[in-house]
Amino acid sequence: MDYQLSPLEVKMQQDLAAFCRTEIAPRAKMLDSSSRPGVCTYMKENLKMLFRGGCLEAGHIGDVIDLIAVYLAGEEIAKACPATFLSARASTFLCAGALRLFGAPDQKQRYIPDLMKAELVGAFAYSEEQAGSDMAAITTVAHKDGKTWRLNGDKNIVINAPIADVFLVLAYSEKDAGAESGMSIFICDKGAEGSRIGEPVETMGLRGVPLAGISMNDCVAAGILGDTPGKGYEQVTRILTMGKVGIAALCVGIGTACTEISVKHAKERKAFGKPIGLYQDVGFRLADMFTINDLGRMLALRAAWAINTGEFEADILAASAKLFASEAVTKIANWGMQIFAGHGYVAGSDIERFYRDAKFGEICEGASEIQRSLIARSELDKFLQR
Amino acid sequence: MDFSLSQEQRMFRETVYRYGRDEIAPLCEEADLKGEFSFEIWRKLASFGILGLPLPEEFGGSAANILTCCLAGEALGHAGVDGGSLLAWGAHTYLCAHNIYAFGTEDQKRKYVPKLASGDWIGCMGLTEPGAGSDAASLSTTAVKKGDRYVLNGSKTFITNAPVADVMVVFANVNKARKHEGITAFIIEKGTPGLTTGKPFHKMGCKCSSTSEIFLADCEVPEENILGGEGKGWFIALSGVEWDRCTLLSPMLGAAINNLESCARYANERHQFGRPIRNFQAIQHRIADMKVFVEAVRLAVYRVASAKDNGQMLNPLQAAVSKVYAGDRGFDMASEAVQIFGGYGFMHEYPVERNFRDSKLAAIGGGTSDIMRMIVSRIMMM
Repeated sequence: MDYQLSPLEVKMQQDLAAFCRTEIAPRAKMLDSSSRPGVCTYMKENLKMLFRGGCLEAGHIGDVIDLIAVYLAGEEIAKACPATFLSARASTFLCAGALRLFGAPDQKQRYIPDLMKAELVGAFAYSEEQAGSDMAAITTVAHKDGKTWRLNGDKNIVINAPIADVFLVLAYSEKDAGAESGMSIFICDKGAEGSRIGEPVETMGLRGVPLAGISMNDCVAAGILGDTPGKGYEQVTRILTMGKVGIAALCVGIGTACTEISVKHAKERKAFGKPIGLYQDVGFRLADMFTINDLGRMLALRAAWAINTGEFEADILAASAKLFASEAVTKIANWGMQIFAGHGYVAGSDIERFYRDAKFGEICEGASEIQRSLIARSELDKFLQR
Repeated sequence: MDFSLSQEQRMFRETVYRYGRDEIAPLCEEADLKGEFSFEIWRKLASFGILGLPLPEEFGGSAANILTCCLAGEALGHAGVDGGSLLAWGAHTYLCAHNIYAFGTEDQKRKYVPKLASGDWIGCMGLTEPGAGSDAASLSTTAVKKGDRYVLNGSKTFITNAPVADVMVVFANVNKARKHEGITAFIIEKGTPGLTTGKPFHKMGCKCSSTSEIFLADCEVPEENILGGEGKGWFIALSGVEWDRCTLLSPMLGAAINNLESCARYANERHQFGRPIRNFQAIQHRIADMKVFVEAVRLAVYRVASAKDNGQMLNPLQAAVSKVYAGDRGFDMASEAVQIFGGYGFMHEYPVERNFRDSKLAAIGGGTSDIMRMIVSRIMMM
């Protein structure tokens, strides 16, 4: 047992932190307040900057994904700009990562190098208006037209859709076979015949993320991920389980940023002759912010390690990390806002942006209610008398 | 990073768990109801070698590292051994016996440690006073040198094991002008003239540990009973904190696992409205929260333990996180366990009731949750 990061991991994290602090963080406010077309331009630039700063390849080696490194890099990007993290993650982890784990050799060769250099932007389209955690309820279907697969259906909110060059799309390739063996992930190139990207969607937080729906009307797919149909459910479940560590990175990154600026404010802002952080109401709140953020990070690293090593219950640990870190960060942002008070409530303050960004964690990729159900079922089943 | 346990560690944990479950846990309900220290449980812990776990073999111990000690604490709590008996063990082994081993002279070690390791003698540590809790530097017990002896005067309170202790490590100030630099630890044996203990307190939880005041009235202690040297008491007291934040919390982790398992079993078996209550989301979500708590508190406790085993300085932030989370969230989760059991949970015969009462101590003993927040906020504001 060793709870320490290796010197190499520490060095990598410090280097990425320094890069993100000077290059990415200063652009976060601009991304948040830009028009939708502006967001697309700036985010593409940010992804290229991340590549040049060495942030994108961390943890991605050959056919293997080292989730601890992915987590550490992710936390630093998210701390600097949560929206940039989410966009980069959709491209290099959800899209390129799925290709890395499940793609056929020619698919890997065609997309992964360019995705990792941000020459291409990737997107991962699985949820629909009536299908989130209830993945079996998707209505997008694919049928074979000669040698070509054609897709029909709508994906209502897809991260990176307005800027993406390649999409992974979850659809039924054989509806009658049921979710677990009737789904496939299709690869679709930008501008494919029959595809249409919708108007950019506006959101409460993470406004720097380019977001839109996709409509597919006999849309021509470039192929099936891994070339074998029927594996979509397994693939999407696996990548999204790993992805929970990424959402934890998003949350802990935002939590760290909130805590840091709150401490700074609590030192600088004086009331009745002393810094407000020396009052217990503020100081103890800072302690609570530190505590739950620190535990969120530990749970995320624990889950990352469990997935890396194929440990029993890795999926439950990932769900626990996502659940804990996302609920922690909404508390942290809320307390941070309380510490900044009027200074935080004005539009354009950093804590106001983080406050809006923070809520995403509890909602995305399996809301807290779903994570709890998953964790509870696993625990209860251990003690079921059959 | 490596979060795994070795095969040997897993087997050790399993062995301790089985022993605790089969040999000790069945005694705990009655002992807790009596609200007294149980010599029967004590002998069970002793005969299994638990009491000398971290002490070297030449002194009758097992030379276990801290992680192993935490595994034992977790396993016994998991097995359903009550928090009081495990607190008595912790105060005895870590705060008394290990302090004498770590800071004692060769003579002191030979005289006390083997008998403490075997459990023939019971040990305690007296730091807290009626007017000095977390503000331990302000303690008012004095020790005045008189020839080759020290005369101690003052009183201690909330001292775990005091009513049953044969050996006490007691802190007194030899020179109040020097404040914490005057604090000195003394080894005092039962029966020393001027030493008396109060009636055991009636406590809310952890009832099988016996707790009382210690009174020192012109209590004369030979100078060779100074532990670690004059003025070294403050350092000794602080070093106890490192044990406190991992080994003494590990039984709380174990109790949380015990609660989680008993709740999962109960939720599967208990039917209402024609279905097992596991089907209700309100029950499920409590179970999930308990599971997340177990995983998080385990990480917090073992992180402190693994750092100490690696010879690193105690990280005060990590120690405080461990304590405040185990204390505050642990109490909330223990309360949810009672809630799952409903009316049965309110009854003494269900361990969730005892675990609930015992769990409150983690937010109080060894520095309250408020003190932990104070420590963290001071570091953050530096």
